[in-house]
Amino acid sequence: MSKPMLNFTRGELEWAPWITPVDADAATEEQRQALRITPSSRPVGAYSLVLAHDPGSLAQRSPLYNAIMFGARGLPRADRELGAVATSQVNGCSYCASVHAKRFVELTKEPDVIDRLYAEGLQAPLAPRRKAIVEFSAKLACDPASMDVSDLVPLRAQGLTDAEILDLVQAVAMFSWANRLMQSLGEPVTA
Amino acid sequence: MSTPPTRDIIDELTGLTADAPLAQLRRQRPDVVRHLQGSDEAIFAPGNDAGLSAAERAAAGLRIAVRLRDVRLETHYRARLRQHDPDGGLAASVAQEPSSIVDPRWRAILCHVDRLTADPDSARREHIDGLLASGLSPRAVIALSQLVAYVNFQVRLLAGLRILGDRP
Repeated sequence: MSKPMLNFTRGELEWAPWITPVDADAATEEQRQALRITPSSRPVGAYSLVLAHDPGSLAQRSPLYNAIMFGARGLPRADRELGAVATSQVNGCSYCASVHAKRFVELTKEPDVIDRLYAEGLQAPLAPRRKAIVEFSAKLACDPASMDVSDLVPLRAQGLTDAEILDLVQAVAMFSWANRLMQSLGEPVTA
Repeated sequence: MSTPPTRDIIDELTGLTADAPLAQLRRQRPDVVRHLQGSDEAIFAPGNDAGLSAAERAAAGLRIAVRLRDVRLETHYRARLRQHDPDGGLAASVAQEPSSIVDPRWRAILCHVDRLTADPDSARREHIDGLLASGLSPRAVIALSQLVAYVNFQVRLLAGLRILGDRP
């Protein structure tokens, strides 16, 4: 968990599927409905078209993702993105990490946080709030059964409310989901 | 936006009533609550199961809950499996090593479940090819991956809710 991530990057990666995506022009009505909402409201890409093979789950998952990562109020978006990066690093998902590291840097102008995580691993020294978020996220992603109330102490010491902690939990859970789709259904390729 | 009034799957799994403080905290994000419940139904009780049966889905969920040591979730999927697999044929396989499973399709499914839960970074194209070759349709492969990923989501959310509800 503390090893440097040599294949992780703040640069642009794309994702190439291992399963033939649904042909957008030949999509069924149910598939078209499921594709109307996309994660992060991005244009429909290969990822969504692969998931459209099972439109029932896709139609729920995209709005769930958007509600967890973009929902108004609560934990600042940058902290949710940092939770996503830490989870992706635990799981070794370089594609998700690159996308969400970029969003974190856009929101915070703190590229050094990402550079340190990639160079030194999840134990890298960071400012206290960032460190509390990264360590909680990494532990929850890695070994959920080991979580106990003492894991809340560093977050509460940084002033996080229970509602904000729940937002972070849901971001970590969402990337425990997203990483596994990205990693099992295709692979990152250099843009 | 109105608060969903009914007890949902997460309330059931946390043992909370819908008006408990922690259940109310979840309901500050009604879209999350709604689409999480919708995801559970789409994954475990789909209109079209694509040949991946309700019993097989419950068995896969059970295997993940056991591997991640979530007792309450284990009880939930064990009950669901009993409902769809009354003679216990699949339940026996949940505790088996994949290599000892005779049926190549079910073996490939359990390998996918285990790999994606414990070491997602070890997933390779050949594993997807193997699932397709064992007779799963592309739809069933996606449904299976969504299921494994979703139950991994559930375990993290439940762990977070467990500690948030465990105030000294």
